[in-house]
This record gives sequence, C-alpha cells and structure tokens, in this order.
Amino acid sequence: MTAAHVEPLTRRPKNQLARAPRKWQSGALLIIFVSFLAATVWSWTYIDMTLSTLFGGFEELWNLIMYMFPPNFDNLPKVIDATIETIWMAVIGTTLSVLISIPLAFSAARNTTPNPVVFAFARGVITLARAVPTLVLAAIMTWPLGIGPLPGILALAIHSIGMIGKLFTEAIENTEAMSREAVSSTGAGKWQTILATIVPQITPSCIGTALYRLDINLRESAILGFVGAGGVGFVIQMELRGLDYQRAISAVSVIFITITIIEVIAARLRSSIIGDHLSAPTTPTKRTLARERRDQRLLIDAVTTRRLTPPWTYERTLRATAGVTFLAVLVFALVTIEMPLISAFGLFDEVVASFGSLYPPDFTTAGPELWQGIRETIAIGFTATTLGLVLAIPLGILSARNIMFNRAIYSATRLFLLALRGLPELIVAVLFVAAMGLGPVPGTLALTLGTATFMAKLIGDALEEVSPVPREAVLATGASRTQEFFTSVIPQALPTLVSQTLYMLDVNLRSSTVLGIIGGGGIGFLLLSAIRVLEEQTVGAIIIVIFVIVYAIELLGSFVRWIVE
Amino acid sequence: MSIISNSFSGEVNPLVSLTGVSKRFPNGTLALDNVSLEVPKGQLLSLIGLSGSGKSTLMRHLNGLHKPTSGTVKVLGTEVSSASNRELRAVRRNVGFVFQQFGLVGRATCLENVLSGALGRLGGPRYGVWSYPKQLRREAFDHLDRVGLAPQAYQRADTLSGGQMQRVAIARTIMQQPEILLADEPVASLDPESSAQVLELMLQVATEAKMTIIVTLHQVELAMGWAHRIVGLRDGRVVLDRDATGLSQADVMDVYRRVDRESELLAPTESFDAAKVADSVEA
Repeated sequence: MTAAHVEPLTRRPKNQLARAPRKWQSGALLIIFVSFLAATVWSWTYIDMTLSTLFGGFEELWNLIMYMFPPNFDNLPKVIDATIETIWMAVIGTTLSVLISIPLAFSAARNTTPNPVVFAFARGVITLARAVPTLVLAAIMTWPLGIGPLPGILALAIHSIGMIGKLFTEAIENTEAMSREAVSSTGAGKWQTILATIVPQITPSCIGTALYRLDINLRESAILGFVGAGGVGFVIQMELRGLDYQRAISAVSVIFITITIIEVIAARLRSSIIGDHLSAPTTPTKRTLARERRDQRLLIDAVTTRRLTPPWTYERTLRATAGVTFLAVLVFALVTIEMPLISAFGLFDEVVASFGSLYPPDFTTAGPELWQGIRETIAIGFTATTLGLVLAIPLGILSARNIMFNRAIYSATRLFLLALRGLPELIVAVLFVAAMGLGPVPGTLALTLGTATFMAKLIGDALEEVSPVPREAVLATGASRTQEFFTSVIPQALPTLVSQTLYMLDVNLRSSTVLGIIGGGGIGFLLLSAIRVLEEQTVGAIIIVIFVIVYAIELLGSFVRWIVE
Repeated sequence: MSIISNSFSGEVNPLVSLTGVSKRFPNGTLALDNVSLEVPKGQLLSLIGLSGSGKSTLMRHLNGLHKPTSGTVKVLGTEVSSASNRELRAVRRNVGFVFQQFGLVGRATCLENVLSGALGRLGGPRYGVWSYPKQLRREAFDHLDRVGLAPQAYQRADTLSGGQMQRVAIARTIMQQPEILLADEPVASLDPESSAQVLELMLQVATEAKMTIIVTLHQVELAMGWAHRIVGLRDGRVVLDRDATGLSQADVMDVYRRVDRESELLAPTESFDAAKVADSVEA
C-alpha cells in the first residue's frame, strides 16, 4: 500500500556451489541479530509503543471514522479535477523519467557504455537520483517554481530515475551477446547493431518497468499537494485543516478508487503486452481459439501475398492501440494540465541555484533538534518494521492456500490485504495524524499497517512457493500438520523472510524521513519548517542526514544478504 | 554426392592472406602459432581440426573480431590487423559470417532478422520492418524463399527449430551480399539429417553468388565432400594443407589421430573448446 514499495531486487548468488558456513559469518549474523533486537527494544521504548497506545490509537481512529461518515461529496467537482491533475502528474513525470533514463541506462550498462568516464557518471546519477525522497525534492523545487504541479512532476521525474535507470541498465546487461556479434559482423554500425539486437530484447521489460513505476508515482503524486506541489493532496490537506472530515474522506475515497482502477489496468496491460505467449500455459477459451485462428489466417495471407508490412495480428493491434492511446493521453495531459512546462526550461538556472543554496550544509542551527529527529526517524523505521512483521506473520499464513487448505479463509485474507494496499501509506498517515494529533505514534502506525499488508502478501507468496516434496516426506513419518509446518515449511521460507524484512526496514526508514512533513514524527518535521522559513543550509544538512541514514541501511542490507547467501 | 565441383583453378590475387599470424590470449593460451595461409577468389576451403585447435580463433581474425598478437591478416586488400573502425566495417560488409549459435534476435520476426543483414549497406539506425526500403523488404522475402522459409516471414525467430534458425541466418548472410563467407561450425548444433541439408543449402547459395568460402567443420566426411581444399589445424599450427581431390580419408584422419594418442580421445568431440572459452574471456 505504500508509495515507495518497489519489487524487492533480491540478488541470487552467482555461485551456487555448496559452501559450508564459516565461523566468522555465523558470528557476524549473531551480532547483527542481537543488534537488530536491541534496536527494536530501544525503538519501541523511544516511541512509547505499548499495547495501550496501540489500542488507544485504534480507538481514536474509530472515532475519526465515525466523524467521517457519511462522506460529503459536494466537493466532488473540485476533487475530480485534482485527481485528474494527480494522474497527469504521474503520467508526465514517469514519461520524463523514462526519457532521461534511456540514454543514462545505455551509458551505465557495461555492454553498451561508450567509455569508463561516461559509465561512472551515469552510474552515479542513477544512484544519486533516488537518494532524496520525492516529497523533499518537490518541497525544495517549490522555491524557484512556485506552488503548482510543475515541482511535483520534476520531483517524480528525478526520483524515478533511480529505479527506472537501474532496471533499464539491468535489462540491457541481460541481453544475449550472440546476435549482437552476428549483426555487427555484417558491417553494421554500433547504433544500428544496438537498435537491431538489444532494443527488441529489452522493450517488453522496459515497458513493464515504466508501467510499474507509473503505478508507484500515482501513489506518490497523491501526497505531493501537502507541500504545494500539485494534485489531490492539496484538497485533502485543506479539508483536514478546516476539520471537515466528511469532505476529506470524499477526496480520499476518490483517489483510493482511482489508484485501484489504474493498478488493475496497468497490471493487465503489463501481462498482455509483455506476456510471453510461449510461457503462458492458460487453457484456451473459445475466444482465444478464434483469435488464434484469425491470426494464423492473417499470417498466411501476409506471406502468400508478400505483404511488405507485418499483418495486424491480435498482439500487434493490441500493442499499437496501447501505444497510440498512451501518446493521446500524454498529449492531452500536457495540454490540459495548467503548467508552464516550457517555462521550466527558462527557470533551469533558478532550479540549479536553489539546489546550490543548500550548500554548505549547516548542522548547528537546528542543533539538538536535528539529532532528536534522527533518533526518532530511526525508531519509527524499526518499530514499524518489527511491529508490521509481527502482524504480517499470522496474516501471511492465513493467506497461503497450501497451508490453510480452506478456501474461504485464504481468499478473504487475500482480498482484505489487497484492499488495504490500495491506499498510499502517507495518505493513511495523514488520516492517523488527523485522528491522534501530531507525533511519531500515528506515523508509526501508518507505516506498520503498510508493512503488515505488504509483508503478509510476501509471506503468503513465499509460503506458497515452498516445495511440497520435503513436506510430504515429513508427513510420511507420521508428523502432525503443526510439526510439519515448523520442520519443513519455516526453514524453506526463512531466507526470503529475512531478506524481505531487511528490504522493508530500508523502505520504512526512507518513508519515516518524510513522515514529519505531514506531521507524523521524525526528521521530516524539521525539514518542512526549514523549507518554510527558507533556511536553505539547514535543509542541506537534513538532506545529507537522510542520505546517510538511507545508504547506511542499504549497505547493511547488502552486507547481511551477502553473508546469508 | 556433391553438387559442387571439387576441382578448382585459383586466381593469382588471394582474397585472404595470413602471414606468420600468432595469437596469445591474455590467459596465456597460444591459440594460433605462426599461421600462414592464402585463399584465392572462389575457393571453398574447409578448416578441420579438434576443438581448441584454433579454427574459431582463425576465423575471428578474418573479420577483425580478434587482433593477432603478431603477424598480418589481409582481407580483400585491407590489413585487418591495423584497420580503423571505419575500414573494419567496410571489410565486414564484404565478409559474411555464419555462427554455430545462429545469432538471431529471438524476439524479432524472421524478416527483420534477414533485413538486419542489409544494415551495413544502409545508412542510419533502423528499427522494425517499416524502417527498411520496400525494395529491400522484397529482397529479404526472396532470400527467405530461397532458404524455404518465406511462410515463416512474420513469425518470431525463437519459434523456429535449430535448422530453420540457421537457414534464417543464411538468408541474412545472402542479404549482406558478401564476397567472402566464413562459416564457423555452421551445423554443429543441428541433428545429422538437417546438418547435411543446411550445409548443402548454404554452400549451394554461396557458390551461386560466387562467394569465396571458408568453413570449419568437425565432421570429416562433410568437409571432404564439398571442399576444394582442406586445411588441418592442430594446437594452432597448420598441419595439413592439400587439394581435396585425391585426398584419402586416412590422410585427413591423421590430423586427429596424432592427437588421439596423446589425449586418449577416440573421436573428435565438442566437449570443451578452450579457444571459445578464451574468446569469451577476452570479450
């Protein structure tokens, strides 16, 4: 349900040879495990997350829900306009990001990079792009660009390069080299060869990546209005400020429905455009059979009449329609959105100047508040991850069909999880803050809920992927179902669980750095006030702190994965 | 058996000439050891030898995929070993290469794969069938027809069988209109029956187009059936270089047999190709 949830990029070991665990590795693992537990205990105490706060929080939330019903939809025209703006922001931001990522990825891929300097530069840009959260980027860009969708779009475009550029680079590096060698030995030039051999191989996965990111960006752009960067977030903020909960929930429900619909459309598009027909073992229906017969006839006609363009098979028609529709949407978005995109180029100097004014960072003005903010941010991240994990384990088990064997239970759980994921985490946090007041607890609870639903799905999936062979073997010895679960299912699912927990910790620490912007505690609150009063150098200092937190946890994550694997 | 005459009268000017070529890979393997060879226009030369004897490495020197450690490689009047990128492209345009692993783009249609053979004579990047001139599309169709795959023109290349894939690769090479055809184990990945068919098709098409052909084969009978001239390599050295006419099976088997005693191999196999491993390391 969160904006920042990216498909975990677990790295498989290159060398699958058997390797006995070494002594220092188990030692290191133990130290990490103990520090993780210590950090958790410290975090829960720091945030004062006790059972009574938890249930007290839910009580207040219930009261808020009562205030919100019945929703008042008389602001609907305004909400719909803002929602459409939100969609256009995501579409334009993602497209811009893809356009920037393409040359970057070709420069950053080992097999296509022109030279080592360009390679290092492109890798650096891709890594740095995702260092600063979208919300922070957007807030800073309202300085030179003013209130409106433009800073939001540019923030989405820049931040998305981190993921899109990385995945595009991997796609290029994963292409096979034989065809490239073959075409280049016909005397074709470098770019002719790349277009003829690499591009056809990467196109499907790149479209998949772009659609996936569009989905994420839609969730992110729903919140950007809180810093004045356009979209429906502004409406939600206004209604909440006026304590008009019934109108606020109308905006929230419209964006919830929009996100869910677009997620479903994007998922279907992904599977039908990039779905490999060779590997789709679906049972043919009457319609697909008729479609295939028609395609066959078209192909035969095309070759007997020597058609010089490919025939309009179902797949090609679908692809062309999707392409044309996308272009139409993009043009429409660019025309209707009230945003001087062209003038953004004129303001380029000022944007650069704003980022320049962050330097040199000033760590002293904010002083002790800065360190308190850091501690709170880390505490929120740990608490949300661990509490979310505790909630996710039972939910995940309930949703695994090979464990529960009861259709009603696992389908109901899956549906519940799916529905909860429809809301962006930060929107949930906004509602929690509205219910419980400012502070770390509502923010932590929102991240916890996001973690719980996301992890529950991952746990459910991981459990369903468990090999049935050892399970049967254990059952055959006369073990009970529960014994079997502990001896054969858990060991198989454990490595995935560990790496997903680390991944969630990473995601939650990133989210908790911006929670404060909407009043949810952590360093973001300090950041927002520094942005408001234009203390540029303090903003610079906070961004560096965020950067360090995020990279420390990323390094730690890859270190632990390296040991485990 | 053969549709191509085994007799050959060479011209004076060789299209390909190697003088004292040696190649040592960064890992220390000496893949070619002082090889000198001249191939006149129109000849069909068959390179034989065990895996790792240097056949592939030699072929790759002829279109500049490898540079020699010492010695010179001259192809179509250009010294490949010291050619600029531009000159190298000009040479490659006139040297067709058929690979053991076909080198097709699986996601692209057969027609697109054939069309990519024309990239060298076209300017500018091309993407998709529509970006090629109509005349070339017709030509590509004809070439697919020639290899018997016109019905598969709009099918993705990865839906074809191995033999069909190699035929598409052959059509791509005809599209290129090269003067020299290099074929590196073109049928080693195919079953015996399609091996003979595909090889016959390739050589037939290439001789019709008056190409000079150098083909590496590990099947001795196939090599003897087609070639004008047989060159045997062992440990990177030329150990046999004779007219195919009047060559006995025993003479040829000698190239292999001398090694057999040392390595206790009964027959040439494709189990481990040291030169190819070295190639991939270098690439």
